[in-house]
Parts: sequence; structure tokens; C-alpha cells
Amino acid sequence: MTNALEVKGLRKSYGEKVVLKGIDLYVRRGDIFALLGVNGAGKTTTLECIEGLRKYDGGTISVNGRIGIQLQSAALPAHIKGGEAVRLFAKWNRKPADTSMLAALGVDSIANKQYQAMSTGQKRRLHLALALICDPDIVFLDEPTAGLDIEGRISLHEYIRNLKAQGKTIILASHDMAEVESLCDSIAILRDGEIAFAGTVIALTEKIGKHYNIQIRTGQGLETYESDDIRASLITILKSYEEKDTVIQDIRVDRGSLEQHFLKIAKGE
Amino acid sequence: MNGFLYGFTLQWKLDLRSRTMLITCYAVPLLFFAVMGGIFTSVMPESKETLIQSMTVFAVTMGALIGLPPSLAEIYRSDIKNAYQANGVPLSLGLILINISAFVHLLIMSAILYVIAPILFDVKIPEHLETYLGGLVILITVSLSIASIIGLAVKDTANTSMFSILLFIPSTMLSGIMFPSEMLPQTFAIAGKLFPATWGYKLMTDSAFSLQTLCPLLGIFLIAFILSGVLLKRIRTR
Repeated sequence: MTNALEVKGLRKSYGEKVVLKGIDLYVRRGDIFALLGVNGAGKTTTLECIEGLRKYDGGTISVNGRIGIQLQSAALPAHIKGGEAVRLFAKWNRKPADTSMLAALGVDSIANKQYQAMSTGQKRRLHLALALICDPDIVFLDEPTAGLDIEGRISLHEYIRNLKAQGKTIILASHDMAEVESLCDSIAILRDGEIAFAGTVIALTEKIGKHYNIQIRTGQGLETYESDDIRASLITILKSYEEKDTVIQDIRVDRGSLEQHFLKIAKGE
Repeated sequence: MNGFLYGFTLQWKLDLRSRTMLITCYAVPLLFFAVMGGIFTSVMPESKETLIQSMTVFAVTMGALIGLPPSLAEIYRSDIKNAYQANGVPLSLGLILINISAFVHLLIMSAILYVIAPILFDVKIPEHLETYLGGLVILITVSLSIASIIGLAVKDTANTSMFSILLFIPSTMLSGIMFPSEMLPQTFAIAGKLFPATWGYKLMTDSAFSLQTLCPLLGIFLIAFILSGVLLKRIRTR
């Protein structure tokens, strides 16, 4: 089997509220995959069902390999030290306690620091180190770089790419579209408990169409236009300025960002 | 060192770093002992016969009912429980480790009272050591089992404190450690029999174990044990 994860017809309700309406998705072995969606779309519930942290009502989930989960902040006791957490998780997984993993993630300084005194970035790196202790085949990352500065973000991206190079499959939830675009091989977008899109980042932009933003600056100010047919739109817009005898000071044309494409699908626009 | 032993020693250290645990298991009971021990022994000299037992019942009840639930709520009402599940560790492990650690803390506090009470207030050490020690172990166990229900059932730490105090006050006031239970109005005396502190105090001051005293404690423990199991299952099958 080449897929690390296969989900078929996953359903979940909280009382009367249907959160997942029979979703299907698969992740190829060795891919970096992102599950996206606006708040309340069902991302967390989907991931928790896959991770085995939450019961589901129907469907099947096949996870082919050992999993490691990067838990959210506040998933450790306030007074535990970084080194103690590493040793505890190593005992639970019957693996040697190797605190050098903290050094590899650039946070060896937290080995003797209590969890409550750690910064958000340190907590995230500690949770990543803990997720890797069991030497997983599939790693689940939840907002891995949230709260990190640019330098920390770049080094963590590098670390995630190294994990992929080791053959690990990475499944992440993220709101950061730049991160998704730079890291991920494939994505799925959840909308109201259903998969609205599944495929590669390139396929997403193709699905939406060649979307352009046009900005024209004149003496009266800045005008913004959106277009799916850049040639026809530019001719029409420029003609209209010529007819009004308005002097154009500057023209900018750019392709729509992944964020715009994501929002179009996620919000069903 | 295996996982269970490491988990226990780690929990023990975490408790020592926790202000709540230190205050409820050690600081307040010692302060209460220093003040009330002095008052009791001077106002009622006959209290010297049972001061160690009464102060021990107070310390155990406070440490268990007020000290334990926040530690449990920290695990089971937060994402910490996910760490257990994500690593294939039974959810009950946290409950067991926290209970064993609290048991040891309460035993240490009781030992401190046993040693310093005769020195400070010239009180009598328990005449029947076997019933005192047996009663102490049973009282700690039953008190922790009730505290476990609060920690597992209540949805947040603020409510945990409220329920803990609601149980702690009648437990100590009606148990006979402040004044003889024969002096209480009948309704209060009957109500006092619902709490382990009353039976624990009786057990620790009796000359021998009696089924009449042991059975209520065993009954309370069994109910608490079953309820804790049900609550854990509810948390697991969310």
C-alpha cells in the first residue's frame, strides 16, 4: 500500500450537530499534507478522529504506520521540566530517553525549564520533540510554527523537510497559507464538514482559474479590479481610462494568492 | 526504572513544585495544628488523649479533599489527557499515580504530626498503634477516593475548589475532631456519618478494629471506586 492514511466516509456528530458528513481523503506515504478550513469547519475533529483521540460515528480510518502527535500547548503539567517530559514520553514508548533531540530543535535550554515558564515557541518545539520520540512513520503537527519568529519558522520548516527526507509522512493543520504553499505536497480543504477540495497546491490554483488582481493608480487615487481574463479586462479598463482622459501613474498586475483561493473554496464563494 | 516507577517519582516531584499541594498537604495543616493544638490542650486538657488523631484527621481530610482534585482536573479537564491517549497509555494511570503520590504526602504529614505533637504540646501518643496506623491508611485511601470523584467529575478548577470546600467543611465539623459528636444535634450527628472523617477518627481512637466502623468506610470506598471508573470511561469515550 502506498498510502500512509486512508479515510472513507468519516462521520461525526455532537448531539444534533453534524460536524463531519462522510469525508474521504488519503495521504500518500512520504508526503507533507495539510488539512485546511476556516474555524468550525471540522479540522480538529477530523485530526482527533484520525489520531485516535476522539470516537467517530461512522466510516473507516486506515493509518499505515506508527504515529507521533504534536500536541497543542497546555498538554503538559505546568511544573514539568522539558527534560523530564522527554524522559517520561520515552518511558511510555519504551525508547531510550534522548534529550539531544531538544538540541536538534534548538531548545536544549529548556531541559531544566518548567513548562509554565516556556515561551510559545519553546512549547511547540518541545511538543514536536515529544511527538518524534516513538520514531513515528506518520507525524501529526498542529499549527507547528504558530507563535514563532521568522528565524524559528525557517529553521522549523527545514526540520520538517528533513523529516520528509527521512521518509516520514507529515500531516499538518495550519492557517498559514505561505507555510502550506512552501511545505506541502498535497492539501484538503474542509467546508461545513465536507471535503471541498483535495489535491496539490497547483491543482488548487488551476481549479479556481487564472485569477488576477489589477491595481491602477491615478491622480484620483488607487482603483482595484479582479479578473479571470487578464487580456480582455486590461483592454476594457485601459480604454475606459482613455475615454475619461485620466492619466495613469502606475499599473500593477499579480496572480491571486493561495490565501484568496483557499478562502474562495473554504467559504464557498 | 520502569515507566510506572518513573511516573510516580515524577508526580511526587511535581506535587512538591505545586503550591496548592504544598499549602493543602503541609502548610495549612501545620498552621492549624500549631494554633488549635495550643488552644485545645489548654482549654480542654483531656484533648491531649486524642490530639494526634484529631489533627491527623484534619490534615488528611484537607490534603485529600482540597489538595487532590485540582491535580486531577489539570489532567482530565485539559489536553494533558491527550498525551496519555496519544502514547497508548491508559487514562487511569494519571489517576493512580496522583493518588499514590498524594497518599505518600499525607502519610508524611501524619508522621510529622505524630512526632512533633508530643514535643510541642505534651500530648499522649496513640495507645493502640495498630488501630491508629490501620485507621490512618484506610482514612487516607477513602478520602482520596472521594477526592478523585470531585477531580474527575467537575468541569473546571474553579468549581473543583467550591465542591472540595463544600465537602471539607462538614467533614471536619461533624467528624468529632473539633468537639465530641455526642454534643451535636441528632441531624448533624447522622449527617456526619456520611463522611469518612467521622469513621476514620473513630477507627484511629478505638482500641480494636470493629466491623461496625470498617463497613461504612468500605462502602464509601466501593461507591467512590465505581463512580471513578464510570467517570473515567465517560472522559475516554468523548
